[in-house]
Amino acid sequence: MRHITVAAVAAITALTGGVGLAACGSTASSSAGSGTSASASASTASCTNSSIQSELYAKGVLTVATDKPVYPPWFENNTPTNGQGYESAVAYAIAAQLGFAKSKVTWAYEPFDNSYAPGPKKFDFDINEISYSATRAQVVTFSNSYYPVQQALVALKTSPIVTKHTPAELKTYVYGDQVGTTSLAFINSQIQPTQTPKVFESLNDVKQALQDKQIAALVTDTPTAQYISSAEISGSVMVAQFPSTGEHYGLLFAKGNPLVTCVNKALATLTSNGTLAKLQAKYLQIYTSVPTIKP
Amino acid sequence: MADGLPDLSARRSRLLGTGERRGLAVSSASTVIVLAALVLLFLLAPGSRAVRHTFFNPADMWRAFVGDPAKGYYSVGEAIWLNIRMFVVAEILILILALVVAVVRQSTGPALLPLRVVSTVYVDVCRGVPLILLIFAIGFGAPALSLRFISSQSAAVYGVAALVISYSAYVSEVYRAGINSVHRSQVAAARSLGLTEGAAMRHVILPQAVRTIIPPLLNDFISLQKDTALVGVLGSIEANKAAELFSDTTFNYSSYVVAAILFLLLTIPLARFTDHLIARDRARRLAGAGQ
Repeated sequence: MRHITVAAVAAITALTGGVGLAACGSTASSSAGSGTSASASASTASCTNSSIQSELYAKGVLTVATDKPVYPPWFENNTPTNGQGYESAVAYAIAAQLGFAKSKVTWAYEPFDNSYAPGPKKFDFDINEISYSATRAQVVTFSNSYYPVQQALVALKTSPIVTKHTPAELKTYVYGDQVGTTSLAFINSQIQPTQTPKVFESLNDVKQALQDKQIAALVTDTPTAQYISSAEISGSVMVAQFPSTGEHYGLLFAKGNPLVTCVNKALATLTSNGTLAKLQAKYLQIYTSVPTIKP
Repeated sequence: MADGLPDLSARRSRLLGTGERRGLAVSSASTVIVLAALVLLFLLAPGSRAVRHTFFNPADMWRAFVGDPAKGYYSVGEAIWLNIRMFVVAEILILILALVVAVVRQSTGPALLPLRVVSTVYVDVCRGVPLILLIFAIGFGAPALSLRFISSQSAAVYGVAALVISYSAYVSEVYRAGINSVHRSQVAAARSLGLTEGAAMRHVILPQAVRTIIPPLLNDFISLQKDTALVGVLGSIEANKAAELFSDTTFNYSSYVVAAILFLLLTIPLARFTDHLIARDRARRLAGAGQ
């Protein structure tokens, strides 16, 4: 949800894939460059539990931050500590790679709006469906991707958008999304509706607005959309998902935090040994039957 | 002293006196020193560069001001118009509703007791409930009712409704204080001339009361202008929401400074106007007392 599409990136990525990110702006190339060098040097860096102690926010424990409330399928029961839900599971999997027992992981509450404030951070990394963008990477450091993002539409079953969603028809509806998400940029740059979308403070407010018919459809990432339509709002349906624009979620670190090197190494291991794919299958229920439509 | 300008110097010494002039010099110097120390402290702080980049970056402030919807944020400069429209409409409605509530609460007729009870409960409840809760309750509650007219309004309309309900409760108390400040002899005089209670209120009490309450009234309206920012929680893009969208998109808070400056541009003229009214009223009363 918390992800951003730079319009230029959206346009370029169709042709160049993730490389488009690096080509976007002068500062972008340096930040993307540091990301690459970090993962390159990760293979040589020592990432034992004792060697990273000096890089930790609190000695001996890994401090992971997220927002309140947290939603399925990223977390279960609004409880990050239970290891359930994709992001909770990924955080504990990374912790295990870095040699932390489950009891050595503590969770901090960090509202999204505060996570990028200047000054020292109160956590090692923040995991909260935050999308990488070159602009954002000027202020904070992102890990490599732990999930590639696609946007999707949720509507009430009775809404005309369920059957009428050609690119021209999509422009005629009122959309809603949660503040600070890439969904708004997606709506405005890809769907280009004639009416201004509504932007709400929390996902719960967006869902309420959908039920109240203040909006015709809500736009969010596919796993969240799937969860809302299947478990949360009875009478709602996930209409379709949109093609990828090259977005991905990354863990948020304080700018220049050296710990990102070892976390990227852990992510690389979790990708190559199939753990991430397994967790995605378990929690994110990516059904192949989800239709993809053009914005 | 000051041979070249004897007139000016003479007038100045008449205005200030020697001691006062020294006082002026000392106060200016101390003001400059304190300000310079604060600016230095800000510039020399270890995180100064980061704070200046994050909060006061001119390029980001401009981007936030003009907006770029395709990148996920709207113009803060355009969004402030929604705030302006909301508080202008709200202020007019508040002036009317608050007056009605105040007059009802001040009424003495036994037949009006139920109305007095209702307005007293209204003032107690709506002054006590945080405005943001009222905005949520109306903004999400009214559409959920699925009524034909009430449930199909825009978020700004629900926001204005909440502002009017909350602020009318405050302002009715301001009115009431004004009404109570008019001496009882005025009522007695009006009634002895044969005016009914209503006519006395309309032609004798209220004109005097309103003059007294203009400064506290404008004070409440300055507060109202800022509170229009709370309506953003309903999904409409007002200045504060536009600023939040920019900072969430770019991880830069300069947009909030832009919104703050725009709000200041709205409230400072009103604050100065209030001061002017207070000074004029005071001058008139003092003149009246002297006659």
